[in-house]
Amino acid sequence: MRNLLNFLLNYGYWILFLLLEVASFMLLFRFNSYQGSVGFTSANWIAGHIYTVSAEVSSFFKLRSVNHRLTQENVTLQAENKALREALQRTVSEVGDKAIAPDLQKDDYSTIPVHVINNSLHLPDNYLTLDKGAADGVAPEMGVVGGNGVMGIVYMVSEHYALAISLLNSKSSISCKFKHSDYFGYLKWKGGSPRHALLEDVPRHALFQKGDTIVTSGYSAVFPQGLMVGTVDSIADSNDGLSYLLRVQLATDFACLDNALIISNDHREEQHALETKAQQVP
Amino acid sequence: MIITFLKRFSWFWVLVLVQALILNNVHFFGYATPFLYIYLLLKFDANMSRYSLLLWGFSLGLAVDVFSNTPGVNAASATLLAFVRPFLLKLFAPRDSADDFSPGIHSMGLAPFMRYASVATLVHQSALVLLVTFSFAQPSVMLLKVVSGTLLTTLCIWGVEVAKK
Repeated sequence: MRNLLNFLLNYGYWILFLLLEVASFMLLFRFNSYQGSVGFTSANWIAGHIYTVSAEVSSFFKLRSVNHRLTQENVTLQAENKALREALQRTVSEVGDKAIAPDLQKDDYSTIPVHVINNSLHLPDNYLTLDKGAADGVAPEMGVVGGNGVMGIVYMVSEHYALAISLLNSKSSISCKFKHSDYFGYLKWKGGSPRHALLEDVPRHALFQKGDTIVTSGYSAVFPQGLMVGTVDSIADSNDGLSYLLRVQLATDFACLDNALIISNDHREEQHALETKAQQVP
Repeated sequence: MIITFLKRFSWFWVLVLVQALILNNVHFFGYATPFLYIYLLLKFDANMSRYSLLLWGFSLGLAVDVFSNTPGVNAASATLLAFVRPFLLKLFAPRDSADDFSPGIHSMGLAPFMRYASVATLVHQSALVLLVTFSFAQPSVMLLKVVSGTLLTTLCIWGVEVAKK
């Protein structure tokens, strides 16, 4: 008995060491499947607050470049506005007022403006921390979009913060298509450059070329159709040779993120329920 | 006693915040990120009990993990570092040093302290890179990350150690 006690006194730290390592590994492995683990991420209350303050400070220093970008965006938008106005006038004068459809766009999607308060680029799995949470109507599996294009998908939410899977995450998979045709594939990221991602499963008979624009397909109901994702950068064959593997230059620069919109599809539940039901039919 | 604890506690938070807000965003050549927070573990007194060393290591790693969305990764590697620290100290500390000295350039001399710090950093960095990538698919990239991260972290530790004097 005394020997045992002596042993425990002398080598008990081994047991503590093993216990702590087991705890760490449990966190490591359960994070992916365990939704309650949001407390162990930057979306918890303390980390969220600290990142909010830090994001406010750094966005102050970014104001100059943001201004610059906004001015540029303004110029392009004005030019586009002018072109559209002219086109509209031409159409109206050609066919008369009545022909313009009253509902050009179905209003299925609503948006929530958010700030990105933390993000990373160089890990194998990168996440974005956003400053709105369940209290503001954010729920998992909503899309996150920035001024330039798609950023990611909401993964976990706490009361006032949300953690989103960035496009730069091995778990990210977004259904995308070409802007000018309906051939689609899945956008994945396998590490490496934070400016590029891969578009997989594009069929062999799809027609496209370098520089073509990739947009969201709208199939998954997370994103509406036609949101900018990026442009085709280079073309290769997939490993099995059955489809194309495209390197996509991402439209979003993940190194400088600030303002974003969370997109919530008001009919997502309905579509999801229908799809699950269809899968259950034998 | 309480003052020592408060001192360690404030060092703890300063290092976690510096790590989370500044150093996690540093990527020299896209590979090297300094992990300065382990400085706290290196500086604890030599006669500190292994139990408290392990607990400090675990909580320090966990705090950094929470901020960088890598649950378990830093906790596991910092615990490992806390576990091997007494052995490293025995290996590198000068024989005539007192029982309760705090490792540093001042108490150990420049060369022994840097040897101690760089080997400790290497242990921590190897565990960290291994857990983050979790595969041996690209051994050369991993090796590059370990070596560059170790160099950068050791450099940072040296900088803080010199600046503190």
